[in-house]
Amino acid sequence: MVLDEADTGPGVAVLLPGAARLSGDDQDEVFHTGVILATLDNTAGWCIRDHPDYVEGTSMATLDLRVDFVTPASLRETLRVRAVCEGFDGDIAFVRATAETLNTKVLIATGQATFMLGTPSGPNLATPANPVGGSLE
Amino acid sequence: MNKPVQAGGSLPSLALAQQQLIKMPYAAFLGVSLRVGPDGLETSTRSRADLIGNTNLPALHGGVIGSLLDITGMLTLVFLKALDQSPRLIDMDIDYLRSGQAQPTHGRAEIVRGGRRMANLRAVLWQDDPERPIAIGRLQFLLPKTEATRGGLEVSR
Repeated sequence: MVLDEADTGPGVAVLLPGAARLSGDDQDEVFHTGVILATLDNTAGWCIRDHPDYVEGTSMATLDLRVDFVTPASLRETLRVRAVCEGFDGDIAFVRATAETLNTKVLIATGQATFMLGTPSGPNLATPANPVGGSLE
Repeated sequence: MNKPVQAGGSLPSLALAQQQLIKMPYAAFLGVSLRVGPDGLETSTRSRADLIGNTNLPALHGGVIGSLLDITGMLTLVFLKALDQSPRLIDMDIDYLRSGQAQPTHGRAEIVRGGRRMANLRAVLWQDDPERPIAIGRLQFLLPKTEATRGGLEVSR
């Protein structure tokens, strides 16, 4: 997954091109629901780091995540996942996210997540905390 | 947890669950394996560097945890109801309880309510101690169409 640099908002958008190993069904060739969920989670984390009040280096953890899988998405498509931080008080952040197909603009999934900020960032507290999201790509 | 006695008449099928697992390349990418223990079907996933989301802790990626709950729920449903087609995940709700360590992760699920068209499942993941779950999930699946549900016995709105 890559950040959609050309995107003008709101929030943060990432692009996820289809790939064989992301398949949920080798006959239907659709994105696995877990892949969509993971991308929503990751993008949600990125949009918090993009929030004006976010202090660089603060670590975060997902508390909960709900996803509605509206339509299966073909692996021939690229997904655009957008996340918008709707509430942020320094400790907790609330995010809504959607996934749609890049070209045909079909709604694939919607998600809602809550994050806790300032979670322990490991034994070596002197190093800046890593972003919450690694990448599946 | 997912006791091998379920309404519906079908016997649990590890073979069908294995077949479903093979059909999901993303599950293979995560490295999910299956076994049947005294408490029913269990999924296991070895720790791997590219499944880590926070490399400082290190902690398992939240998306990987969610995916393992999804896969555990789906395979348990296929196992218990002996489905030969894929159920479709409609929605799920994850509570992250503890950060996942760079350790093997195990999963189990149970059917809360299995209807003819929908099934509601509860799934749980743990690492070294089943009493200390790292995440729980509520999942709703649409079941594959069967002769009974296709034949117009239920009125669709």
